[in-house]
Amino acid sequence: MKRIVARTAGWFRNLPSAITAALVVAVVLAAGTAIILQSEASYREQKSEETQVQAGILAASIVAAVDFGDAAAAQEAAEAMRVNRQVRGVSIYDRDGNRIAGFRRDGRTPLPTLAASRAFVSPGIVAEAPILRGRQQIGTVRLGTDRQPLDTRVGRYAVIGLLVLMAALLVTVLGVAQAMLRRANRELEARAAALGAANTELNHQIDERAKAEEQLRQAQKMQALGQLTGGIAHDFNNLLTVIQGSADMLRRPNLKEDRRTRFAEAIVEASGRAAALTGQLLAFARRQPLQPEVIDVNAMIRGMTDLLDRTLGERFAIHTDLSNETCLVEADRAQLASAVLNIAVNARDAMPDGGTLSIATQRVHEETGYMVAICVTDTGTGMDAETIARAMEPFFTTKAAGKGTGLGLSQVYGFASQSGGDLRIDSVAGEGTTVHILLPCSDAAPPAAIEQSPGETRAARIGAVLMVEDNEEVGEFAEALLRELGHAVTRARSGAEALEAAAERPFDVVLTDVVMPGMSGIELADQLHLLQPTLPVVLTTGYSDEIASFGAGGRPVLLKPYRLEALAKVLDDALAGANNEKARET
Amino acid sequence: MAPRLFQAAFGALAAAWLLAAAPAVAQASEQAVKAAFIPKFTRYVEFPPAMQPGTGQPYYLCIIGRDPFGQQIDRAAASETVDGHAVAVRRFADTSPAAVAGCHIAFVAGADDRATVAMLITLRRQPTLTITDARSGKARGMIHFALVEGRVRFNIDNMDAAQRGVGISSRLLALAVQVKQ
Repeated sequence: MKRIVARTAGWFRNLPSAITAALVVAVVLAAGTAIILQSEASYREQKSEETQVQAGILAASIVAAVDFGDAAAAQEAAEAMRVNRQVRGVSIYDRDGNRIAGFRRDGRTPLPTLAASRAFVSPGIVAEAPILRGRQQIGTVRLGTDRQPLDTRVGRYAVIGLLVLMAALLVTVLGVAQAMLRRANRELEARAAALGAANTELNHQIDERAKAEEQLRQAQKMQALGQLTGGIAHDFNNLLTVIQGSADMLRRPNLKEDRRTRFAEAIVEASGRAAALTGQLLAFARRQPLQPEVIDVNAMIRGMTDLLDRTLGERFAIHTDLSNETCLVEADRAQLASAVLNIAVNARDAMPDGGTLSIATQRVHEETGYMVAICVTDTGTGMDAETIARAMEPFFTTKAAGKGTGLGLSQVYGFASQSGGDLRIDSVAGEGTTVHILLPCSDAAPPAAIEQSPGETRAARIGAVLMVEDNEEVGEFAEALLRELGHAVTRARSGAEALEAAAERPFDVVLTDVVMPGMSGIELADQLHLLQPTLPVVLTTGYSDEIASFGAGGRPVLLKPYRLEALAKVLDDALAGANNEKARET
Repeated sequence: MAPRLFQAAFGALAAAWLLAAAPAVAQASEQAVKAAFIPKFTRYVEFPPAMQPGTGQPYYLCIIGRDPFGQQIDRAAASETVDGHAVAVRRFADTSPAAVAGCHIAFVAGADDRATVAMLITLRRQPTLTITDARSGKARGMIHFALVEGRVRFNIDNMDAAQRGVGISSRLLALAVQVKQ
């Protein structure tokens, strides 16, 4: 049953709505007509039954009158029917079919016999009832009634007809509306499809464009990489020339002591510059692990004026305008100093005929909060807009080949943004340049003055060192250095090996490389901390994502390449800290 | 003189005949109608159960005293059948015979009103529909024939009938000139 209904419904759904509406209208009209016909038929039937009943009642009431031949009594009974306006006439016939009583409302002469009356076809409804005395028929009653007047009936049917017509009209309107809606829907679908196609096309174009942009970016990257590697190669070759040449000289026999010392110094100096160069590269790449400390910028700049004076030479006047409003900042002291020095050197180069270098500090309010601005202003040649736009690009330089690395400002920019600040350049060609280093204010406590009792000598502490290094050459070199410093050295080539060694016997300090296959130095430090919480761990690395990203977890970091002094100091500090801790515990 | 006399004599004779004959003709048709009516009353009367005839027994129509109908009423009664019972006519000179007790309907006509009334009183012992005729006198039974505007009509003393246990159909009452309730 349900399936049939569903199928019928589906069939109707598939039909065009106009046809459906027409069908429904036809059905409604047919139903209306049927209702009217049915109503008329049932009215007729009812009326004829009613007439029959009236005739029967009359017949029953005049049995005695007819029986006794009392025409007057029969007439009285017949006259009583006049009250009913629909009764057209009544005739009462005796046993022989002769009319004995009755009336006709239209006043015409009634037909005298039953047979004649029966032969006449009446327009109304006629009922006949026998007058029965017992089982014997002693007469007949004929009673004619009008049907309801035509106008009354027409009025009644007109109401039904009107209702049917209105229903049909409603269905028609609904059908038309439905048809229009469907057409609108179809148009909408077509438009949606067109839109979808357009969207697909657009997406395709976007993809193409993204691909093209990616290719362009790749090309630019390759270009930048070429520039970078070229620059590094150039600078490193210069330094290597010095180092190699000095080393060659040192291998010569019978070299005098003072020359030997000079060549060794040259090697140390060149290596230092090379280290600074890689440090700058890393700072630009923002991969250099910063060692932020709380710095009073004004104090630092005051301390730098002598250095700047010497660096710039006597043709330059240095003027400082330090604001009392400045706050403390948290930054890597060496990087900040290097940044100021870098900008100062750029300023000097922009003023070939000498001039004034002004360094000012002030507190400014930026969107992210209060900041300290270090403004270095020169009275030099200035820069045009294009130069300003490219000034922070690595290896972009306006200086003659060999005079600058092109890494200065880019290093400063890297440092400033890594410290949460910014670098801005204001310049007018021919009038000079101002470079602003912006660093966020810190609410940390001011640096406590380091109390150093003059009599105390920081004697190098000697201890058992667990040295972890996967690179054989660096490992051997470091081991040699540590032994030179007087430490007892145990070497491990991986984190696992180091853990084993640490479990076997006690160490005073651990020096571990960070980047190692398997367990990293940081992971090793965490493991060791679980094993011996008081065992100090010093991390050493040339570059480490992990340290740049997550920091060293408060552990000291020794950056490669490192000098003997740096190694001695960091180990000494670590041993001292461990001793203090032990002392506090006991 | 002779023709005048003859004319007068003839006129007188004719008038006398007319005077004599007119009631006679009226009388004949009137009596025939009454003779036809009386057996029909049976149908419109309800008797007490004890009085109703047994299976195969007729209704007894008694003519007590004078009989103004003769064979007419015998014929009318013969054609009448009420609920399967025939109507039988019995004639009695007065109400003395014991058989009068079986009468369902009694037409009573005494020699004079006194005699009629006496017979009616006798019949009041039993549930018998009594019928009298104004032509016979002033004494009234339950149904009392009268001539109204030349037509045979009747009055009904329904109260008397009800007291005797005789029920008269309302259809019959509807035909009465006057009904005493």
